[in-house]
Amino acid sequence: MLNRRLTLALLGATAAIGVAISPASAQQKPPVKIAAIAPLSGAGAFDGQLAVEGMKAMAEVINQRGGVLGGRKIELVTYDDKGTPEEGVSAAKRAMEQDGVDMIVGGWFSAVALAQKEVTRDRIINVMTSSQHPNVTEQGHKYLFRLNATSTMMSDTYSKFICDKMKVKSVAFITINDDYGRLEVENYKKLLAGCNIEVKGNEFYNRDDTDFTTALTKLKALNADAIYVSAINTSQGATIYRQIRQTAYKGTIIASAGNMNPKLIELSGPALEGVYSVSLFAPDSQNSSLKQWMTQYKKDFKNEPSFIGSLGAQAVQVLAEAMDKAGSSKDYDKIAETLKARKWDTLLGQISFTDKGQAVQNIYLVQVKNKQIVSVASGS
Amino acid sequence: MDFIVFGQQIINGLVNGMGYVLIATGLTLVFGVLRIVNFAHGEFYMLGAFLTYYALTLFGVDYLVSALLATVAVAALGIGANKFFFRPLRREHEFTILLSSLGLSLLIANGAEEIFGADPKYVMSPYADEAMELGPFVVTEQRIIVFVAAAVVMAGVYWFIRYTRMGKMMQATAQNPEGAALTGINTDFVHGYTFALACGLAALAGALVGPTAMLFPTVGAWAVLKGFIVVVMGGLGSVTGALLGGLLLGVVESLGGGYISLGFKDAIGYAIIIAVLLWRPQGLFSVSRSSR
Repeated sequence: MLNRRLTLALLGATAAIGVAISPASAQQKPPVKIAAIAPLSGAGAFDGQLAVEGMKAMAEVINQRGGVLGGRKIELVTYDDKGTPEEGVSAAKRAMEQDGVDMIVGGWFSAVALAQKEVTRDRIINVMTSSQHPNVTEQGHKYLFRLNATSTMMSDTYSKFICDKMKVKSVAFITINDDYGRLEVENYKKLLAGCNIEVKGNEFYNRDDTDFTTALTKLKALNADAIYVSAINTSQGATIYRQIRQTAYKGTIIASAGNMNPKLIELSGPALEGVYSVSLFAPDSQNSSLKQWMTQYKKDFKNEPSFIGSLGAQAVQVLAEAMDKAGSSKDYDKIAETLKARKWDTLLGQISFTDKGQAVQNIYLVQVKNKQIVSVASGS
Repeated sequence: MDFIVFGQQIINGLVNGMGYVLIATGLTLVFGVLRIVNFAHGEFYMLGAFLTYYALTLFGVDYLVSALLATVAVAALGIGANKFFFRPLRREHEFTILLSSLGLSLLIANGAEEIFGADPKYVMSPYADEAMELGPFVVTEQRIIVFVAAAVVMAGVYWFIRYTRMGKMMQATAQNPEGAALTGINTDFVHGYTFALACGLAALAGALVGPTAMLFPTVGAWAVLKGFIVVVMGGLGSVTGALLGGLLLGVVESLGGGYISLGFKDAIGYAIIIAVLLWRPQGLFSVSRSSR
């Protein structure tokens, strides 16, 4: 009896609260939905997690300031592309057709970005993030933007540094067996030949390999002064750096552009000390919106803010500002035009977009020193 | 010079192969005794590696002790898995059991991603980075441990099945479950410890091979795939087949990757499966169906 009375009372209370709340929530403006499509399972899962965390922290910063378009909050809808083109395509379809998102941020891996851009072609604003394959923007569409420097832009800067600062005469490569990896080797073969550095050989590995001893045995036997490691996911990267050390290779190790992060240093241990890389993200930069984002990130997540997270954040930041300037979340022509029309101050410094939607960003040279990523004097 | 690279590749292959042997032996035992194709087998490999990691980092237990603890813990989990996921379905169609194991595999892998997190982990074995130079060849202590420990354990498993009472009960159950039950063998009990042994072996493989690479919760898919290739090569249900098959796969992959193309390495395994199924479906090393 008492039970029933209690239940009734509770029901009444809930109804009252419901009545009290509903007028307020009816007035609240609908959120702007941004799809965050990232690899959340498989070997690239950690990088996907860092990416989404970066986006969430930036969305939080913006929402605390009052959101966009006069008070609309940013809502991130996350999808798992498993690091594969097929899943990336189906995630984009679901985002557009089922969930009706306003815009899409994705394309962490080149293979995924290349496939995904075809389903979003001229239909929705699609910001590609860390993918480096030139064709993502070369064969992009009118609503496609890409933040990371292309592998060509990266290798132009990086090869100058390798030629000028590292005293090596020959390099051997270990690269991932996909569009991105094949292109990297081609680029560097040309660029390094320009300063008389010999490319002694290259070994491709697959996206889900966990053992690289076979490849590294071959590379070690080539006796090159340096091994260039092109590893786009943290898990495989750390394994490769450790296994290079385990083969007792004594030469220089060069890490591919844009793939240096605190977790990699933690996992690779001493194997990564002194290794160089180039990045758009210098954690010791004095940029104020970077600091704001890093503070928020450290408050919400236990991982260290990383390059990949900062790119996710940059995507959200640029989209938010462009929406405000264009005054709409759905008028894609206007948003695209706005994005290309001016320079944007972001957490990674000032950027602008080319007509094809390719971002032009600062590229910093970084090095691992005492387990920290520090920027070295710029080489470009 | 070329001889050194060749020798190094053979060494790499034998060590990797020994890891495959440990994985495949459990798989083949479960098939032989219970007639179950266990897709969740790789997940026990993953759990072995992760439990070693946690014992090591959270409780500061010595690496080798951690590996042992993880093996025992996962063996116990194996008994549970059999009891809750496979035993209730024993009278069902084989296909149902197959699906159940697939479900279990997804459950454990996704559960692990949720609980352990997606960030890669590294089992900080003190032996992992110590490269030993044996003349012109380089091997880490960890890889020597993988090989030696696996060889000892395999000898133990062989002895157990061949000469102990429990091992003979396993053989009897494998040959004719109803006949075994009629002679008074408690087949439920046999199934239980077979599962424990199989999962323990997978976990041991994870604990030993784990420190040679980064760990992530979906690594089990890789393990079970290698296991299946070896089991098909060696003949379903055959322990000696798993041993020879595992070592052969390791060496063939290593030489194929080294001299043909590394991008081709995984394809070699699949090519072997197709060739074996076409020409020697009973496995490369089995003499007749009934011997094990």
